[in-house]
Amino acid sequence: MSPWRPAWPRPAPLLFLGALLFALPGPLPAWPAMAQAPVAPPPAPSAAPSAAPPRRPPAVAQLLPPPPPAPPGQPAAARPPLVAELSQAQVAITTGFSGTEVLVFGATERLLGAGGDEVLVIAQGPAQPMVVRRKIRVLGLWLNGASARFWRVPGYYFLTGTRPLAEMLSREERATKRIGLGALPLEAAGNQSQEFREALLELKQDAGLWHEEGTMHIAGARLFRASLPLPATVPTGDYLVQVLLVRDGRVVARQELSFRVGRAGTAARIADVAKVQPVVYGLLCILLAALAGWLGSVLFRRG
Amino acid sequence: MQVYLPIAEMSVDALLLLGIGFGVGWLSGLFGVGGGFLLTPLLILIGIPAPVAVASGANQTLGASVSGLIAQWRRGNVDPRMGGVLLAGGFLGSGLGVLLFAWLRRLGQVDLAVSVFYVVILGSVGGLMVRESVRAILRRRRQGGPARLHAHLWMHGLPFKLRFRKSRLYISVIPPLLVGFGIGVLSAMMGVGGGFMLVPAMIYLLGMPTAVVIGTSLFQVVFVAANVTLLQAVQTGSVDIVLTLLLLVGGVAGAQFGASMGSRLRGEETRALLGLLVLGVALSLLWGLVVTPESEFAVGPMPL
Repeated sequence: MSPWRPAWPRPAPLLFLGALLFALPGPLPAWPAMAQAPVAPPPAPSAAPSAAPPRRPPAVAQLLPPPPPAPPGQPAAARPPLVAELSQAQVAITTGFSGTEVLVFGATERLLGAGGDEVLVIAQGPAQPMVVRRKIRVLGLWLNGASARFWRVPGYYFLTGTRPLAEMLSREERATKRIGLGALPLEAAGNQSQEFREALLELKQDAGLWHEEGTMHIAGARLFRASLPLPATVPTGDYLVQVLLVRDGRVVARQELSFRVGRAGTAARIADVAKVQPVVYGLLCILLAALAGWLGSVLFRRG
Repeated sequence: MQVYLPIAEMSVDALLLLGIGFGVGWLSGLFGVGGGFLLTPLLILIGIPAPVAVASGANQTLGASVSGLIAQWRRGNVDPRMGGVLLAGGFLGSGLGVLLFAWLRRLGQVDLAVSVFYVVILGSVGGLMVRESVRAILRRRRQGGPARLHAHLWMHGLPFKLRFRKSRLYISVIPPLLVGFGIGVLSAMMGVGGGFMLVPAMIYLLGMPTAVVIGTSLFQVVFVAANVTLLQAVQTGSVDIVLTLLLLVGGVAGAQFGASMGSRLRGEETRALLGLLVLGVALSLLWGLVVTPESEFAVGPMPL
């Protein structure tokens, strides 16, 4: 269970302190959020295509209110045009977490590919307030100068499609539906210069937290699959995954899925105590550090 | 082997942290200082956010100094009265330092402030140490003859005199209070125990005998570091216990090797080497401030 297993020959003190390190958190509690069911859409009564191995009953994609209303005589499509599912509803950040992947997969009613239907997958992490600062040189030293504050910056953004985004949707469609990194609604306070926005985009992409990628995997012209890479620095919170069905350059159907990234086990406990009871946590840190030092002194004397 | 640090919210190679702890512990055993001044910059260098590095550095210093303090106390090398006076100043200083730290964090200048503090303090302390020890080595080469214990300065005319029996001193409480206060501010700002500044200050400013200096400075360092840990945990919430314990595990082992090696070196040589090390850290941090950054922009979380 414990990922912490040193591989080098270690003297007794290390073993002892190592044991102390893992004795601290106690039994791993069930992560509280696990108990609540994830946002699972109600089971679909209609027979959905059982192409993807569904762990939960797959959800029916809601048809977007289509810009031209459907002809009155024609009933709504019996078969959903799009079904999608996630490989997991939670990502647990444990003490050994070093990044992971969440799989988005699904199927379409019509054939996928050029000329046919196309699929876009957009995943967004919880919004965080961020500050972008420009470094300036004063007396030969680099320091933080003017800044722009962005109140709602997605901590994670991932977009992929069956074709590159620019080929699937026109610029206007992307702008009105706010699809793609270029169309992210980032309202800034402070310095309004476009440079700060661009710097934010660039730095987030460098950190591996924002991606806009090429093509996803298609099988049999009906099944699609995309993996969302979550790096070790991924922020915790609720993630929203939108799967969009694109037909003739328009978004015609959409399904929303969600998963949650949370700390689990030891990491969760430590972070909770530190946040909820900082005084207790501070005292605990002092005690533990002193205890480790004292143990060291005991072992010194013997040695 | 990656370990997720719950407060820093990132995962780091556990072996790297153990290695850093070991190396710093080795040096601190060798030179008889806490090693916080090396640890915090190293942590910042491997990508730990400055607030977490500073707060956890203070916590690590506490652990690393406890074993030394116990050993010194047993040998009767601690002057509790002098330690208490230094501590009173240290508590006030570290309280102010943590407030200052939180204020700089809101301004977005905390990384700069930490670096500048390091460059200025380490640069001057390192320079003084090298100069003093080179002089001592040269003096010894020429001929023996110890210098005076301490000179009588203007500060010996200050009021509120107190007798410090263990230190064989009868001086005003104002200089030790001020020394403690200054070190307290710096330890909160820099995440160091302040041993490397306190020891020279006690020898040269207060004129304490060398025998009780190490023990008494450890006494002050342990309590100030505990205070800083608590204040940082409450004020900025940036003490990472996983980080601290990993560093301590490496540090305790490293100190063992360092201490046995240190006993084979002469005092002046040790001080000269330590001075060079301190200067080296200062120069590398200065380089970081002066060199053109890769990106013109930096992005960070909105401070509270």
